[in-house]
Amino acid sequence: MATATYPPPPPYYRLYKDYLQNPKSAPEPPSPIEGTYICFGGNYTTDYVLPSLEEQGVRRLYPKGPNVDFKKELRSLNRELQLHILELSDVLIERPSQYARRVEDISLIFKNLHHLLNSLRPHQARATLIHILELQIQRRKQAVEDIKRRREEAQKLLKEALGTLDGQ
Amino acid sequence: MDIISQLQEQVDLIASLAFNTIGTLQRDAPPVRLSPNYPEPPANPTEDFADQPKLMSAALVKAAKQFDALVAALPLAEGGEEAQLKRIAELQAENDAVGQELQRQLEAAEKELKQVQELFSQATDNCLNLKKPD
Repeated sequence: MATATYPPPPPYYRLYKDYLQNPKSAPEPPSPIEGTYICFGGNYTTDYVLPSLEEQGVRRLYPKGPNVDFKKELRSLNRELQLHILELSDVLIERPSQYARRVEDISLIFKNLHHLLNSLRPHQARATLIHILELQIQRRKQAVEDIKRRREEAQKLLKEALGTLDGQ
Repeated sequence: MDIISQLQEQVDLIASLAFNTIGTLQRDAPPVRLSPNYPEPPANPTEDFADQPKLMSAALVKAAKQFDALVAALPLAEGGEEAQLKRIAELQAENDAVGQELQRQLEAAEKELKQVQELFSQATDNCLNLKKPD
C-alpha cells in the first residue's frame, strides 16, 4: 500500500509576514457563515433546531399537535415495538423471505422513539433554567437575611460600646 | 445521568437485544424438515440451545418493562411551553426584585462600615494623642 504525505498547509501564510509590525497589512479572517452551507457534499444548517420527522423523510407515528402527551406516546410506541419484534420472529418461521418489510417497520418505530425523546430536550432545558433561577433567588434571599442580621449585630455592639464609654 | 439520556440508552439497549436475539436464534437454530420429499435432517442443536430463546426473550421483556418504568418517572410537570415560559418570566421578575433589595442592603452596610472605620480611626488617633510618651 503506498502511503501519501500530508497535503501542504495552505499558502496564505506568506501574506502574514509583516503582521507583527503592521496588523493591517494582512487579510482579515473570513466572517462566520450564516444559514445553510455545504461541507463534504452534505448540507448543514447553522440554525440548531431539531428537524421534524417529515423533513427527514420518516413517517410520523404519533399524532401531531401543540401538546403531545409524551408518556402515553412513548408507552404505546414501546408496545408497538414489542409486537413488531414478535411479528418479525413469526415471519422468519413461516415466510422467511418477507423479512424486509417488518425490519423496515421496526426501524421506523425506533426513529420515531428517538425523535420523541429528542423533542423532550427543549422542555428539559426550560425546566433546568427554572430550577437554576429558583436556586439563585433562594441564595439571594439568604444573603439579604445575613446582611440584615450582621448590621443589627453591629448596631448592637456600637450601642453597647457607647453605653460602656458613657458609663465610664 | 439525566432521565432523557437514560431513556435513550434504554431504547438502544432494546434495539441491541432485539437484533441479538433474532440473529442468534436464526444462526443457531437446528435444521427443520421442509417437505416430505427430503429426508429428515440430522437434528443436533448446539449445547444448551433449548433455553436460549427463553432467556433472551425474558431479557427483552425486562428491558421493555424498564423502559416503561423510566417513562413513568419522567417529571413532565404540567404541560405547555407557555406555562414554562410564564414561570421563567415570573422568576426573572422576582429575581430582579430580590437583587435590588440585596444591592440596597449591601450599599447601606458598606456605608455603615465606612462610618465605623472612620470612628475607629478617630478613636485610635485620640488614644495615641492622649497617651503620654514615657
